[in-house]
Amino acid sequence: MVPALPLLTKYLGQPGREAIDAFLATGGYQAAAHALRDLQPDQIIAIVEASGLRGRGGAGFPTGRKWRLTPKREGDVRYLVVNADEGEPGTFKDRTLIEGDPHQVLEGMIITAYANQVHRAYIYLRGEFFLGYQRLSRALAEARDRGHVGRNILGSGFDLEIVIHRGAGSYICGEETALLESLEGRRGFPRLKPPYYPAVRGLYDQPTVLNNVETMAHIPHILSLGPDGYKASGPPILYSVSGHVTAPGVKELPIGTPLREIIFQHSGGLRPGRTFKALFPGGSSSALLTAEHLDTPADFEPLAKLGSMLGSSAIIVMDDSACIPAVIRRTVEFYRDESCGKCTPCREGTVWLAQILDRILAGAGRMEDLDLLDAIARNMTGTCFCPLGESVPPSLRTSLRYFRAEYEHHVRTGSCDLRPAAAAAQAPGPGGG
Amino acid sequence: MERVLRPAVLAEISRLAQLYAHPRSALLPALHAAQDQVGYLSEAAMTDVADALGLPVSEVASVATFYSMFHPGPVGRHQIRVCTNLSCYLNGCGEVLDRLCGLLGIRPGETTPDGRVTLEAVECLAACEEAPVMLVDADRHPRMTSAAVDDLLGRLD
Amino acid sequence: MAEQKVQMVHLVIDGQPVAVPKGTTVWQAALQAGVEIPVFCYHDRMPPLGACRMCLVEIEKMPKLVTSCTQEAGEDMVVRTRTERVRQGQQAILEFLLINHPLDCPICDKGGECPLQDNTLKFGPGQSRFAETKRTFRKHIRMGPVLVLDRERCILCWRCTRFGEIIAGDDALKGFERGYHSQIASPFMEPVNSKFIGNTIAICPVGALTSATYRFRARPWDTRRVRSVCPHCGCGCATELDVRGEDLARTRAREHREVNDVWLCDKGFFGYEFVRSPDRLTVPLVRKNGELREVSWNRALAHVVAALRSTPPEGIGVIGGTRSTNEEDYLLLRLFRGIVGTNSIDFRVDTAHPQPAAAAPWGLDIPIADVERSDVIVLVGCDLTEEYPIIWLRVKKAVDGGARLIIANPWELEISRWASHSMTCRWGTEAVVLGALAGGESPESAAGFTGIDAGRLRSAADALRGAARPLVLVGRTALEQPGAADVLAALDGVRAARGNAAVGILRGRGNSGGAQMLGLLPDLLPGYRPLADAAARAALEAVWGRPIPSAPGRTVRGMLEAARAGAVGILYVVGADPATEYPDARAWEEARKGIRLLVVHDIFLTGTAAAADVVLPVLTYAEKTGTVGNIEGRVQRHDQALLGPGTARSDAEIFSLLAMRLGVPFGFASWEGVCAEIGRVVPGWSEEARLVPPRPAVRHPTADDGPAAKGAPAQGGAPTANGALTLLVGTRLFDRGTMALRCPGVRSQAGGPFVAIPPEDASRLGIEDGAVCEVRSSCGALCLPARVWAGLHPGHAYVPRGYESAPVTRLLDERGPVAVTIRPVGASA
Repeated sequence: MVPALPLLTKYLGQPGREAIDAFLATGGYQAAAHALRDLQPDQIIAIVEASGLRGRGGAGFPTGRKWRLTPKREGDVRYLVVNADEGEPGTFKDRTLIEGDPHQVLEGMIITAYANQVHRAYIYLRGEFFLGYQRLSRALAEARDRGHVGRNILGSGFDLEIVIHRGAGSYICGEETALLESLEGRRGFPRLKPPYYPAVRGLYDQPTVLNNVETMAHIPHILSLGPDGYKASGPPILYSVSGHVTAPGVKELPIGTPLREIIFQHSGGLRPGRTFKALFPGGSSSALLTAEHLDTPADFEPLAKLGSMLGSSAIIVMDDSACIPAVIRRTVEFYRDESCGKCTPCREGTVWLAQILDRILAGAGRMEDLDLLDAIARNMTGTCFCPLGESVPPSLRTSLRYFRAEYEHHVRTGSCDLRPAAAAAQAPGPGGG
Repeated sequence: MERVLRPAVLAEISRLAQLYAHPRSALLPALHAAQDQVGYLSEAAMTDVADALGLPVSEVASVATFYSMFHPGPVGRHQIRVCTNLSCYLNGCGEVLDRLCGLLGIRPGETTPDGRVTLEAVECLAACEEAPVMLVDADRHPRMTSAAVDDLLGRLD
Repeated sequence: MAEQKVQMVHLVIDGQPVAVPKGTTVWQAALQAGVEIPVFCYHDRMPPLGACRMCLVEIEKMPKLVTSCTQEAGEDMVVRTRTERVRQGQQAILEFLLINHPLDCPICDKGGECPLQDNTLKFGPGQSRFAETKRTFRKHIRMGPVLVLDRERCILCWRCTRFGEIIAGDDALKGFERGYHSQIASPFMEPVNSKFIGNTIAICPVGALTSATYRFRARPWDTRRVRSVCPHCGCGCATELDVRGEDLARTRAREHREVNDVWLCDKGFFGYEFVRSPDRLTVPLVRKNGELREVSWNRALAHVVAALRSTPPEGIGVIGGTRSTNEEDYLLLRLFRGIVGTNSIDFRVDTAHPQPAAAAPWGLDIPIADVERSDVIVLVGCDLTEEYPIIWLRVKKAVDGGARLIIANPWELEISRWASHSMTCRWGTEAVVLGALAGGESPESAAGFTGIDAGRLRSAADALRGAARPLVLVGRTALEQPGAADVLAALDGVRAARGNAAVGILRGRGNSGGAQMLGLLPDLLPGYRPLADAAARAALEAVWGRPIPSAPGRTVRGMLEAARAGAVGILYVVGADPATEYPDARAWEEARKGIRLLVVHDIFLTGTAAAADVVLPVLTYAEKTGTVGNIEGRVQRHDQALLGPGTARSDAEIFSLLAMRLGVPFGFASWEGVCAEIGRVVPGWSEEARLVPPRPAVRHPTADDGPAAKGAPAQGGAPTANGALTLLVGTRLFDRGTMALRCPGVRSQAGGPFVAIPPEDASRLGIEDGAVCEVRSSCGALCLPARVWAGLHPGHAYVPRGYESAPVTRLLDERGPVAVTIRPVGASA
């Protein structure tokens, strides 16, 4: 029997769901108990490998393989670090899981820690997640009180301490090595890799399993359903759908659901009288897609084939009221303000791009600026230290490709040819407002 | 030496330091604790944190300025953080921010002269389904409108 | 030792095959192949960072350009550094770097030696497409007395911040803010707190960090570079003097892998301006009718020769030799041992507790570079960063590599956060501390006496026991006391217990190493041979053609005691200042009264020179060529960079003239001739040779030995009855002594003199931080502002030496520790 979706989001929105009794009442922590009681760590890794689960933080690295790559030498201290620093624009699935069903995340962590023989885990939680911190802290305390976390979990002999570590406002700390630096009390500068990846040399240079919140939430279901049952269920993925749709939200759907279906069947479609213009399929770091791409399955390979990416599966929809140059400026400003400043192209390229876009939007653009924008973006491509800087060129360059006319109109007339509701509003933000 | 951080806060920092293999890992949590007491990260507060964790104060100050939630100077009694990233931008956060600026008489990044409110334009709060969204202190307010801003400011002490 | 087989990898760079050891980066491999790849953030003394992205190259089978400084060279790798793609990448990075750079090269000190300028010319785009507004910052901020910061020029390569974290460990400069707001600064824009900041100026690839002392003084293309050796602490760091006309424009580090690597401390970096001080002595002075009058060299030398002829050799003593070259010191010996016939020669002007030179040679047994390979380092009674800063950089490297640092000192050192065991002890208990560390003394019994917790002592002893390459460093604080013999015996105890322990007795300054090597000591001959060694004496006599007296001469203390007893006719002081350096000012003054003729070689009118009968103006290190020996016994050469002022002459010339006038001319035509003769009398002598004093065989303690050797408590510091505190004297890197006063970059960093008091004693005595206090010992008194120091062991007071305005030697007693009473004398601060 193929279980019906949703799995991860089934109980989201139920009042009181964050309390442990509500969680236990629907079979919560049974997967963890089963794992600790009946399975060897290696068996769990094999199950997760067989499930085909790919990390839900954005890079999509197979979770089981990542665990397999983490050295399990006797006597080594290993860590589990859960990346709850969700900050990719348009992405809100992790926050939703933490606020709506925190025990589900903890259960995934317990299983992951056991599978990797980790006894200390950290949740790096975004500093701005005040409610999430409150709920997760309470859930952790409850789990500890009931013996699901702490010493000798449920009599299994397995120990696990979980610490919630609050960030303090920095998008780059969602990048795994910057996150580790931050967790060690440093500026969020990404670390050099290769040669060493966190799996081998992570927190305090020890082997570290670093996984995303949603990845953790999948784990109990994989154990409950078995790899085949899990795969047959979809396998599921959480799409964060927002922007110009009438029913935005987290949509748990089989991976590979076509974009059109996600937007028009599951997210309420566009507002009346509006037409579709463009979308980001994987957060603001992904390349723009247009109406011609709407039938593409929202999955890793099909989107990569289009030169874009699934990323954190955050779909930001824009209708015809969106001024593309203004949207791109907002994106560039974001990366400019969140650049750590370590490497040259990201630090200097973003500020240069933002200045040119400012000029164009202020009506002082020159036609040659459009090629210059593209050239700067090209010079940033493949030269940055980490993915943050590399996230700027895709949307900028595709916007120049698909919507060059809009830029040209701005340069020619000094104004927008749209009379939209929201997009015509003055661009707000730290640099633009 | 004179300490600005209260003994309870220093004790909390010591407790935090125990949660990690290296005490310096407690730096961000310790700075949160210090800021919760003082309201911002003064030189004296950072010196106390540095001493508590055995770090040079230059390192503490360097780290603190990297993170946007740590304030280098005093802030208002309330902090309003308006998300201005894409989904909120597409859904009219500009109007919300304009309304707030107009009513408070300040620009983003500023504090009202009476010290009541500090207004910030912030990046994606990961609540795009509630766009435009904002945080008033720790509380998130979904689907903001100008009218909702009027109402909210009216209720804020 | 078996040579470890190094695995080699073979790659091709720009068509050229290269073989490098596995682990080498592509950048290093290219360097080896003679292929230049531009860099900004990479500095080969620090791990790769990969931040500036300047060193992009193309590697076959890799989709993107790769930073060659971070990429490990792999077998069969094919690297290209000159393709169109690489050129575009390099141009892109330079264009990015230049958009916010002010391009004010014509008024920038870095111009002409600026990597940004050079790389832009070689690899940059012809022109910038940037038409926006550049980032602005407040310009050229003075970050203290020596450093000037211009954040607009900064390209954020992070070299300076990483230097502070990785090399110096002082975290002086840090990055603040982030992204395009990132900036380098000190916390709260305070003056930088560093002893190594000059290095950040040296490694800054732009003109963001410049030197306040060198500012606008010269251009690289109109200076001459002269190889030199730093004259200050005794480490003998290799330097380069930049000379513009007759101006000494600046000092920089010269790479010497075995000594200072590529670094310098700030005393070395900024402490050169005394050379061109207008206060330099230029004409000989002779006392007539109670006053020093300018005379001709002829008159001055005739005066000295007449006295030398008329004074019996046993009535002649010589102090000094640490500011002369080895060749000059050798001539000093030939003059005074060979011609005049005295063995009363001693360079150790700053100690009242000398040990027999052969039994306790000063210096480091291992090369400075090997310090970083030690796995446990014990530091006792030595304020390392203040006294021998460059050695600290090696210790830091060892610690970063996993070594454990055990510190025992009466005050907490600034490097204590790097120590696995930082222990403050009562002064005078160092022998017991060493005994406990060696395992001969139980930590429990040592604890009460030393004031160190037994558990920590035990843990430190355990760490030392497990060491494969231990190093024990003992410094002046531990040795400048009557119990020095016990400390040395305890050091022997450590050597006996830990047979593999390397030892350093960190003492001496300037050319102390050379003076010791050549035997400017009452009981030693050149090449560390004991005077008592008749064969060695005979060999030397054969070379000199002169008899050498066999009886040991007097130490500095012995000379001063003899002078007080009227037994010294001539005291001949060569570049030393016993009036301010000898640790008992009153004892010196009394001795001075008993000296018939005091002759002084110096560059300034020091306290001793001012009291002299004959003052001969001499040259500095920058004005003469010769060799010097450092703390590890290394012989290094420095070259003449400048002419001396007025009629000042080298010590060598003066000794030669005296010898000639005494009828026994040396007959050397040049310093090389002297150097060659030293080679005949000192085995192994050559430039760059390390001539290490043989440390005596370990004496295993016997029942007849004194208490310390058996590990029983030696006598601790002075009693502190009636609330008095035991006075400690410490060295500061930045002080205000004769030379430092004439180096603005050193003087201004020194701050004023002070007395430090532990908090518990301060509150007991009612003394607040900053209060002006009278510090009184049985010998004298000083008025000093108080500093309350949390890290100072209770019961002690600390006063720095090296302040001309507050000579701490006034408080000291050559016989032993002094107790001081401290009382506030009103708010006259």
